[in-house]
Order: sequence, then structure tokens, then C-alpha cells
Amino acid sequence: MLALGLLWSRLWKQDFRDYLPFLCAGMVPWVLVSTVVTEGCFAFTSYESIIKSMRFSFTVLTCAVVWRNLIVFFHNLLVFVVIAVICRVPVNQNTLLVVPGLLLFFVNAVWVTALLGLICTRFRDVAPLLASMLQIALFVTPIFWAPAQLGLELATFVKLNLIYHFVDAIRSPLLGRAPGMISYEAILLATVAGWAITLALFSRFERRIAYWL
Amino acid sequence: MRTVSVELTGVTVDFAIYGSQRSFRSEFKQAAGGIIRRDGRRHRTVSVRALDGIDLRLEHGDRLALVGRNGSGKSTLLKVLAGVYAPTAGRVAVTGRVSPLFNIFPGMDPDDTGYENIVTCGMLLGMSRAEIMRKTPDIAVFSELGEFLSVPVRTYSAGMTVRLGFAIATAIDPEILLLDEGLGAGDARFADQAKARVDGLIARASVLVLASHSEELIRSLCNKAILMQSGKILRFGPVDEIMAAYHQLSETEPAPEPAALALAAG
Repeated sequence: MLALGLLWSRLWKQDFRDYLPFLCAGMVPWVLVSTVVTEGCFAFTSYESIIKSMRFSFTVLTCAVVWRNLIVFFHNLLVFVVIAVICRVPVNQNTLLVVPGLLLFFVNAVWVTALLGLICTRFRDVAPLLASMLQIALFVTPIFWAPAQLGLELATFVKLNLIYHFVDAIRSPLLGRAPGMISYEAILLATVAGWAITLALFSRFERRIAYWL
Repeated sequence: MRTVSVELTGVTVDFAIYGSQRSFRSEFKQAAGGIIRRDGRRHRTVSVRALDGIDLRLEHGDRLALVGRNGSGKSTLLKVLAGVYAPTAGRVAVTGRVSPLFNIFPGMDPDDTGYENIVTCGMLLGMSRAEIMRKTPDIAVFSELGEFLSVPVRTYSAGMTVRLGFAIATAIDPEILLLDEGLGAGDARFADQAKARVDGLIARASVLVLASHSEELIRSLCNKAILMQSGKILRFGPVDEIMAAYHQLSETEPAPEPAALALAAG
């Protein structure tokens, strides 16, 4: 993190003290998003032996993935806290917005995990596909760079990236700034649409999961 | 104790065989390529009918043996009773707690200590925390692990792991107990104690369903039996009668050719 921070702050010709907290505040939620997606793909397939030997709740398996990532997130957050103290990141009322940001994230993480778990159990090639897409997403999403650096026209494209909104809802409060209203709107839309799709698919295919394993 | 019962009506299970079709890419190609459809190969999924219209009713005191050749549907029937496979057609109505023991250590975590695994596996088998606490001393004594219970399971020998898994699995108070080929356990000295313990477990169960090829096991544990063939119930009745029918079947009919397996397109 330190090495990346030093290198990239030079590359972007930015002040190290501004860039390092920005990078770290973005990386922590990014890691959270990417592990939920990767682990979500194996939410059911990695418990094949249990699913095939007894009736077991898929909700529990889903929540186990989300819960594990919640714990890991708070461990990673410590790194940011240390950097924030050293670089004197402002703490103000905006900082409190990290709470709704996280809550919204985890409400969505549950459907993402359940949906990916379902799809990846049926179609075994989706997991590697998503893994490589995530690698591209890391560079396309403003983690190493700020959307403002793109210029006005391209910055609109960033707003089409859902991952950006989830990252921003956590990153901005960590840096003492308020996330854009559009991020909350996008997240709420994703919450409603995501849950609707997931519940619809589960009511239809939950009975089939054991057959797909 | 509430009345325990199991009722299956017309239960049918079809397994779709996915080969390369487990991939999204091939499904996509199939959906996108109109040419393949014109070949008349649209429904390329092959499915196997593992159970075919099973009707069954079990009540308190029933000790049922499932008899039949390999691939006759015994294990699938057990898994339907366990709630693993929801039937493709038909209805399953179960009153009572089902305890499937197909595998003696589901959920065992090698990095946890023996005690921690007693809690995890116990909960997975449907015991409450209080029940587990009450039974831990008994499990500790039976598994003969002593102080080893405080160290991670990954340091155990294979025999020790089996003893622990077995001790936990047989500590439950099952209502409907499902067993596949009994429960194997450890060395010869342990086997005698294991048998006594399994007998105790079965005696506590209200209903037992056992799939087995061992006539000795069936005769000692069961009072009813079902003879299965190609996913159907061929005959239902007392153990003696069914075992006789099973032997007769084995003698008169040669084992089915692989080609004769019930493969149905669509």
C-alpha cells in the first residue's frame, strides 16, 4: 500500500499526503467488493458435501460469506485508520455517513452472494469469467485515480459503474467528505432491483441447487 | 413425543446430466446459434430417472430396509427423505426431525480443536447448544480422545478423527434416522463398542430407514423392507420375504447392461 501510494502519487503528480489516504480509503472497500464477488461464486459449490448430505439453509451459507467479509473489512480498516491519523485526514459529521454506506453495502452483499452462488453452481464457467472481469474493473473504477482527473465528459461514464457508487459511499465519508447523492440513488436502485431478481430466481430454482452440484 | 410420520406420494426424481452444458458459454452458443436448433438437437439434455412414482408411508416403530442392486435408487430415496433433493414430481410430507447420517463428519473443521468440532458438528446435526454441553462428556469418553480434544483435529490420526466423528454422530436423539450402509468405525476393538452404540442410537429413533447390501445388518435392525429396481418399488413387506425375493431376483436376472439404463432424451 505504501509502495503503491508513493509510486502513484509521483505518477499522478499529487501530494503524497492527499493521495495515500485516498488510495487506502478506496482500496479497503474495493477489496470488500471484490472478495464478496469472488467468494459469492463459491458460496454453494464449496459446501457441496453439506448440501448433499442434509437439508441445509442456503440463507445461512450466504450470510456466512457476507459475515466473514464484514470481519475482514474491519481488520483492513485499521490500516486506513493508521494512515488517516498520520496524514491528518479530517474527521467531521460526514465521517458518520460511513455507517449507512456500510449498511447499504451489506444489504446488497447478501443478494449478490446468493445470486452469484446460484448462477455459478449451475454454470461453472461464470466464476473465472467474473474473476477476470474484476481485474479490469479494478482499473476502470476510480480507485487509483479520482473521477475528476478524467475531465467532465468521461466522468459521466464513471457514474455508470455500480462498483464506483458502492466504493464512494464508503470512501468519501472515510475522507471526511459527503458521497454524491447519485451514489445513494444508484445503490438504492441496485438494492431493489437486485433483491427482486434474486428472490424471483430463488423461488424458482432453489429446489434445483442440490441437483446442480 | 409428537407423532412421527413420513409419507411419499408418487415421488419421482429426474437427474439432468450436465456435461459441457454446465458452462454458460455453451448455453449461450445454443441460444444464439439458430443453426443448431434446425438440426433438431435443441433438447440435448439427457436425464436419468432415479426414482419413479414412489409411494411410501412410515410411522413410529418402523425399521425399514432398502434393498436392491447398485443404481436401483436406494441412496436417492434416502436423499429425498433427507430433504436434499426436492422431487421432480410427487409429494413428500415429513413430520418429525430427520437425521441423515450418510457421512460421519459433515462440517468437521481440521483447524478447530476436538471440543470446538463437537459444538460445530453437533449443531449441524441439529442439536441445541445446551444439548451439546450435556452430551460432551459422553462424547469425550466414547471417543477415548482425552486431552487430545483440546488440540486441533488436523493433528489427529485418521482413526482418531473417525472415532470423534462417530461419537458425535451417534450422540444425537433422532426421530427419523437415515443410514446408508450403516456407520463404519475404526479398528476392531472399537468396532464392538461402535456396534453397541449404533444399536443404542437406533433404539432411540422413532423411525429408521437403512439402505444396505448386508443381509446380516438388515436382519438385525429392520422389521420391514422394500425391494427396489430401476427407481421403482418392486415389493414391500417383512424382511424375510423381501430378502428371499432379492436373492431370487439376483439369480434369475443378470445385472442390467449399461445400455439398458433408463436414459431418456428431453
